[in-house]
Amino acid sequence: MAPGRGGDDGAVRYALPQPYREIPHTADVGVEVEGASPAEALARLVLAFAALLAGGGAVEVEREETVTADADGDLARTAVAVLRELLYRFATERLIPGACEVVRLDGRGAELRVGFGRWDPERHSEGADVKEVTWHAAGFERAGAGWLARVLFDI
Amino acid sequence: MQLRKVNDWLWEIPREGGMKVPGRVYSDGMPAPDDPALQQVANVAWLPGIVKYSLAMPDIHWGYGFPIGGVAAMDAEGGAVSPGGVGYDINCGVRVLATRLEAAEIRPRIHDVTAQLYRDIPTGVGSSHAIPRLTDAELEAVLAKGARWAVGRGYAAGSDDLERCEEGGALAGADPPAVSERARKRGADQLGTLGSGNHFLEVDSVAEVYDEEVAGAYGLLPGRVAVQIHSGSRGLGYQVCDESLAQLAPAMARYGPDYAAIPDAQLACAPISSPAGRLYLGAMQAAANFAWANRQVMTGLAVRALCHALRISERDLGARLVYDVCHNVAKLEEHLVDGRPRRLLVHRKGATRAFGPGDPRVPAAYREVGQPVLIPGDMGRYSYVLAGTARAMEETFGSSCHGAGRLLSRHQALKLARGRSIARELADRGIEVISRGRKTLGEEMSEAYKDVARVVGVMAGAGISRLVARLEPMGVIKG
Repeated sequence: MAPGRGGDDGAVRYALPQPYREIPHTADVGVEVEGASPAEALARLVLAFAALLAGGGAVEVEREETVTADADGDLARTAVAVLRELLYRFATERLIPGACEVVRLDGRGAELRVGFGRWDPERHSEGADVKEVTWHAAGFERAGAGWLARVLFDI
Repeated sequence: MQLRKVNDWLWEIPREGGMKVPGRVYSDGMPAPDDPALQQVANVAWLPGIVKYSLAMPDIHWGYGFPIGGVAAMDAEGGAVSPGGVGYDINCGVRVLATRLEAAEIRPRIHDVTAQLYRDIPTGVGSSHAIPRLTDAELEAVLAKGARWAVGRGYAAGSDDLERCEEGGALAGADPPAVSERARKRGADQLGTLGSGNHFLEVDSVAEVYDEEVAGAYGLLPGRVAVQIHSGSRGLGYQVCDESLAQLAPAMARYGPDYAAIPDAQLACAPISSPAGRLYLGAMQAAANFAWANRQVMTGLAVRALCHALRISERDLGARLVYDVCHNVAKLEEHLVDGRPRRLLVHRKGATRAFGPGDPRVPAAYREVGQPVLIPGDMGRYSYVLAGTARAMEETFGSSCHGAGRLLSRHQALKLARGRSIARELADRGIEVISRGRKTLGEEMSEAYKDVARVVGVMAGAGISRLVARLEPMGVIKG
């Protein structure tokens, strides 16, 4: 697991690989992550999604971009909105997140700095063909001293 | 979950709470009362304007909001439309082509045939550019014209492909401007691509005929080669559904207490007559047209690939579309309800239209025997061709099952496949399979799926569809 590194603005940068659990589901794939803070949980959720797309293969970061998503203050909806945006980037530009820092996470949504790498048909041949990020069973809540986040992907 | 037996094939979930109608589940034996899909059947019954029953076919399993295998018909004036009642893969569907070829002659050459199909039809993650990337104007035309666009560019099996396609291969109410820029970007270079997961293209043998008269009408003769194509609207359709869910879910309460009370947020919906409802319907219909164009382009590519691999002419191949059905769609249809014709919006999510004999919406060539109902199985066993019946028109708004449904999760299937060569096991049984993804064969192996024979057996037992023929795979390509 790649530990998070602090940035100048206090945001912590996380890189692949990060720990996550697969949620059992008959037809689709779900992931669940833990984090000490909502920001850490969101960053790990992003990278769990990236790990699915990459099939466990390495992602070489080539470019940095800011990704924003608007939501109505519900953390689960914010997480889904972020992942939908990233899925769109993958679907249209074949970009996979290799690193991520959550710059802002509040009632208006989220802003992330994402290090993207390019999907490689050889290196990422075991990656999942994610059709959509579903709203169903999306969760983002306190769990003990930390946070638990989960999402189901339609494959 | 309370269940009341109606007959040997049909169980009812009695109305309670906010359910406007009972639920009805087709099944061989009592459904498991704790199956979460049954709760979804009950939840669908809360939708405003639902008529008669919230229905579930025997391949029912848990989905997003609507169960997969769910059918719900809404009053076209006062009812609701729900993207969850269609699904992400709008107009995922299947078509079957009949040919003049004898399976026994093709079997020794199945590797060459399968390899050519795999070369010519893009599959899997990132698959694109089966044909040159569509211009904006071309995509607009695809969204409006559906399969007709593809036929106009020479992608066809026979001259009557469009007649042998549900809705003639296009929904007239499509509203291409309702399809967002993002959805267009996802779809523009995916026309003519298969996709991945349970999508496939198969070269089959007509292994058994159960009803000679109907099979003959369909052009399915024992021992002949048939081709199946299972695919949908690709990224364009997924994006349309996703955006619609995001728009409709937060706004439901504004349509009144009936909408606010719907117990599952995944049943995001709006009145059919509302601007939001009309926008979704227009975009969904356009996405459905994209899927028909997609399957039509692949038909043309498959015909060329077969001719190339076998070094025969299209005339010798004798390919002809038997039929093309949707599995995920909502359509405005007229049905008799309590003896009176009513205009309804019929949601079929993982369900197939199955119109019976005499219905004017069935192609003339099939009107006497009923519409072909195409039910794909898994890559190692069999698929079925059924015929729609009058009983389906009475009980299920002319709807039947759509496939087998998964038994194992992908993770469980891969665990079971460890140390095995699924390709070798299939080859030993005479089935050549080529897939792009390394994990695909494990995830999609037969043990991961229910037996589709049981599913169609329920439909036949209940009189909803008649068994016509069984197809068995010889060559399969997957993503």
